[in-house]
Amino acid sequence: MDELRLNQELEKWVKERLPRYPTKRSLLVPTLLEAQKYHGHISPSLAEAIGALLDTTPRDVLSVASFYTLVHKHPVGKHVIQLCHNVSCFLNGCDDIAAYIEEKLGVKAGGTTEDGKFTFITVECLAACGSGPVMLVGEKLYENLTPEAVDRALAEAN
Amino acid sequence: MLEQTKVVMRLDGVPDHHRLDVYEANGGYAALRKAVKEMKPAEVIDEVKASGLLGKGGAGFPAGLKWSFVPKDHPGPKYLACNADEGEPGTFKDRWILEHNPHQMIEGCIIAAYAVGISHIYVYCRGEFYQGKEMIRRAAEEAYAKGYLGQNILGSGFSTELTVHTGAGSYECGEETALLTSLEGGRGHPKMKPPFPASEGAWRKPTVINNVETLATVPEIINRGAAWHAGLGTEKSKGIKMVCISGHVEKPGNYEVELGVPTLAIINDLAGGMKGGRALKGFFPGGSSTPVLPAAKADVGYDYESVAAAGSMLGSGALIVFDDKTDVVRMAEVITRFYTWESCGKCTPCREGTRWMLQIYERILKGGGRLEDVDLLLSICDHLEFKSFCPFGDAAVGVVRSTINLYRDEYEDYIRNHKVYKRKFMPVKH
Repeated sequence: MDELRLNQELEKWVKERLPRYPTKRSLLVPTLLEAQKYHGHISPSLAEAIGALLDTTPRDVLSVASFYTLVHKHPVGKHVIQLCHNVSCFLNGCDDIAAYIEEKLGVKAGGTTEDGKFTFITVECLAACGSGPVMLVGEKLYENLTPEAVDRALAEAN
Repeated sequence: MLEQTKVVMRLDGVPDHHRLDVYEANGGYAALRKAVKEMKPAEVIDEVKASGLLGKGGAGFPAGLKWSFVPKDHPGPKYLACNADEGEPGTFKDRWILEHNPHQMIEGCIIAAYAVGISHIYVYCRGEFYQGKEMIRRAAEEAYAKGYLGQNILGSGFSTELTVHTGAGSYECGEETALLTSLEGGRGHPKMKPPFPASEGAWRKPTVINNVETLATVPEIINRGAAWHAGLGTEKSKGIKMVCISGHVEKPGNYEVELGVPTLAIINDLAGGMKGGRALKGFFPGGSSTPVLPAAKADVGYDYESVAAAGSMLGSGALIVFDDKTDVVRMAEVITRFYTWESCGKCTPCREGTRWMLQIYERILKGGGRLEDVDLLLSICDHLEFKSFCPFGDAAVGVVRSTINLYRDEYEDYIRNHKVYKRKFMPVKH
């Protein structure tokens, strides 16, 4: 396995936070999210580097990573679109929005556009049920979606 | 006309009340001052016990009682986990508190920590709440700078720390013991109880786990007294509740009401009635985990015992309303897919039972259902409920059984007529 050098900012981020916890491994889940800001997705070599930092095995890191939906196990596009497909959004027409996004991007749910700009995934409740349909583009929440609102949101991300 | 009783949402409409100076100008942190300066920790617990405050994350367990289970003479550290992992479909109240009134929650956390002798508060926040995490971190920084957190709080000699901890996308981590496993760095699997977290929780130390809304109610109980709170609501469900209304209503959103008010009044007076004047078909009283109730039961009192008597649960206070045009079989499939994909996989009944139910729903919607499928679904429900490791399995059953009982003809219509649901897209598990 190729040895991966952890981003120094990430290492600093981890070391600053370790004193807040009784064990190093406690910081694993937040570290996975932070790590993908720099390294994209959690690859086996990244898992090895994170494991070394938090006193656990690469296997443990990958196992934990595989449990959480926000942790990318494979390469994703520059912007990840997470559209809620749960009950309140369903009642307010998220199926049409999903179909619209698929058509607009030319990819099915789960896919990444050829230019690598967008990955479109469907997710469970985003706790914004009063303003469904909703989606996250990156870290930004978009509510009361219509095709026009989707157009605007994706243009913003460009 | 039903009026709201705003306690956690008392500053709704006050500009910038997420800021410390605005919160303080509106009575913020007076309760903390009162607690640490004028009350002994045991008195704070007694006050919260006497108030009748119930946990608002779903289970409705008395909060003061929970606090009192923590051993007082424990020599090592004790922890508070503030459960901000709001994920129950239909629920969006905690996100509102985190984004709009973070200080009231933090003040409640510190009072709870003082009452129980807790040295570190972890706010376990949903990973998807990017803005919420930011707001709570900023609010915590402000509270540290003002001496409400850290060493020797307000000169009382009491010290406690607060750390915001992010989740990373998992419904199960809202279950209290799974939350602890995740906080310790693991996959979000629940732990066996007993030992209960109050005696052996995070890192095997005594741990209190309270929901965001529960903690955000505490400062007003200290300010106004237990008798004020106990005088609200019903005999068995004291106090108030934030209600998240979504679905087919004119004005979906968060509202706060006295427990026991008629559900129909919440829908009509607060949420503006049914969207487009359509007819109410049914509703989930407390989130996707709670059995559906039909329109005929919409006058049920919105409190724990009345909703239970009507055959459902108050849950997290998420009122999901649907109209007469709703395809309940497809709606049940949407929710069953959620439970299938979010099942943590630790125990077989839940992991396999949910997956099996989803497969049956998929074949019914494809026009390939069998008449015996309806009873097969009910049978799987029986094998899931109370047989799973944690309450997740029970939650997955609610929508399936209740929609079959109420709308069996719609299931049979799909099956007998080989009706096909025209899918507009196929969701994926990431």
